[in-house]
Amino acid sequence: MKPFFKKIVQFYLKLFTKIILWRKKPFIIAVAGTTNKTTVKEYILKFLREKYGEQEVRGNPRSYNTEIGLPLAILYLESGESSFWKWWKILIQAKLRALFSRKFPSKLVLELGVEKKGDMEYLLEMVRPTWAVVTNIEGSYSDAESNLDEIFEEMKLLAEKLPKNGKLILNFDDERVRELADFSKTEKISYGFSDGAEARTTNLKTTVQGQTFDFSFRDKHESVEIKKYGRHNVYAWMIAKIVKEVM
Amino acid sequence: MELRASRIPGVVSLAQGVPSFDTPEPIKRAAIEAIEKGKVAKYSLSPGLLELREVIAHNLEKENKFYDFEEEVIVTAGSIEAITATMLAILSPGDEVLIPDPTYTSYQPAIKVAGGVPVFVPLDEKKHWAFDIAELEKRITPKTKALLFCNPNNPTGTIFTRNQLHAVAQLAIKHNFYILSDEVYKDFVFEENGGSTSTGRSNLQRLYSLAQMRGIRDRLIYIFSFSKAYAMTGWRIAYLATHHDLAKKILGVHDALVTCAPVVSQYAALAALEMADEELAKYHAIYKNRRDLICRRLDKLKNIFEYQKPDSAYFVFPRIKEDILQKITPSGGSKEFAIELLEKAKVATVPGSAFGPVGENHIRMCFGRSEEDINLAFDRMEKFFSK
Repeated sequence: MKPFFKKIVQFYLKLFTKIILWRKKPFIIAVAGTTNKTTVKEYILKFLREKYGEQEVRGNPRSYNTEIGLPLAILYLESGESSFWKWWKILIQAKLRALFSRKFPSKLVLELGVEKKGDMEYLLEMVRPTWAVVTNIEGSYSDAESNLDEIFEEMKLLAEKLPKNGKLILNFDDERVRELADFSKTEKISYGFSDGAEARTTNLKTTVQGQTFDFSFRDKHESVEIKKYGRHNVYAWMIAKIVKEVM
Repeated sequence: MELRASRIPGVVSLAQGVPSFDTPEPIKRAAIEAIEKGKVAKYSLSPGLLELREVIAHNLEKENKFYDFEEEVIVTAGSIEAITATMLAILSPGDEVLIPDPTYTSYQPAIKVAGGVPVFVPLDEKKHWAFDIAELEKRITPKTKALLFCNPNNPTGTIFTRNQLHAVAQLAIKHNFYILSDEVYKDFVFEENGGSTSTGRSNLQRLYSLAQMRGIRDRLIYIFSFSKAYAMTGWRIAYLATHHDLAKKILGVHDALVTCAPVVSQYAALAALEMADEELAKYHAIYKNRRDLICRRLDKLKNIFEYQKPDSAYFVFPRIKEDILQKITPSGGSKEFAIELLEKAKVATVPGSAFGPVGENHIRMCFGRSEEDINLAFDRMEKFFSK
């Protein structure tokens, strides 16, 4: 897409997204962080759909989490890719949906993709989450990345902008993420494997069939078995459980 | 043969196994964007970009293959690097590695580089190039460390069925060896059979993979390359997935060999998985048409060749009939036959002997090339054989 045309598309998509969110006022849970957003979002969707039903909760596909993808996901539209005409059609559809659509889920679980300074501000101009989850702030390169501090600043903005009656769910095992607690007036819930996390996993074991672990949160204890491998799946399970319990 | 063919003007090549397409636009755009944003000049983490490994694991999950992207997925510089790094990680000098006969030619050097000894296991052509499990077990010795195979198979284009794969897995458990399952052609499966199921997404069939069996995940190394599926042979990008203990060992070798896969190619691979579904479906349809075309043309040469219809990939591996072979190369085999075809008919193919002893008296034809090339090659062959 040509830069000028991209700006026009971005402008209108943002406008129509703001209109539909203003009309429908869904409860928004934001999932941010450098990785594991998709798994976390999928677990939250699964747990909330169990509680509230399939139609009431919707999420955005993984690659639909940036300045153009996010509004498309909220408006439930496909990308026009590089086709000029497809984008015009999409803008017309977006306008119709923003102004006249009837059905809309009461809860949205949205991945927020942030790469550089200013990305979060842009996304928050469009969506105002009540709850937010931050998964981690990690680098993909072998040397120390100054970019991670930039990402931290973006996450800080998300923490600051949450309403007082919101919730900020933070990874206690990630030092940068843990620090975010200092920048938000909202209620904080920490999760992780480390001693001190409010929601905590212990006794993690990998089996042929997946993983088993013990989970404790606010006087509740349970033994859990999931059929997937890797700590990121355990984190995702913990977050979804917290969301389901607290909501 | 490809080199020899390049010296002869006007040759039509059905030899080299590369797609006839250019890399899809969304992938190229994503790579350019990554370059422009200054994201590709530095080494990535040795196993690869976190976001790429995460998307790989998500895609594998859709195929019922479960891996931890942080510790069990390694992005490599092509599948041959994945195979070589694994060999170097698991073999001691003199260890034996079973490979099907016929199979992909580059497996032998990868095994030998690691000091291993390749041991051929003949496939049964009459049973659609199936494993003969009894023959396979006969070749297992105390030195057997691994079985390396590609599924769908190159050069035959056939698929190993679920039952055969389960039998192979049982042998691996019984005799304690690793399995390397190289599935670079997994997205080009044309026939529903014991080795595949429908994906429910367009007309694509899903290949049954041993990576779906949790019981052998500690001895299975799953390998996939972006080269063929997304027309990215030059980008040198692939990945392997395996149990974290083994992944740790392989990662040490991978780090020593290449530090990390090319970062620009990692961003391209990320775009391939996220944005190139449509292209993949398009290539699938085109290859299926080409497969049908090459089979129709082979049927017209019934007196020259007999063949097993390929279920997948873009290869067909016809047997040259005995009398024809005698007539064209009285003292030779598939190599001499292929040279005759090249020099007299100006059609390049690969002699079957390159893929193992059982491949003798066969030639490999690639239908990754355009329909025009396939038709021209067969017009020339028909003329040549009618003399």
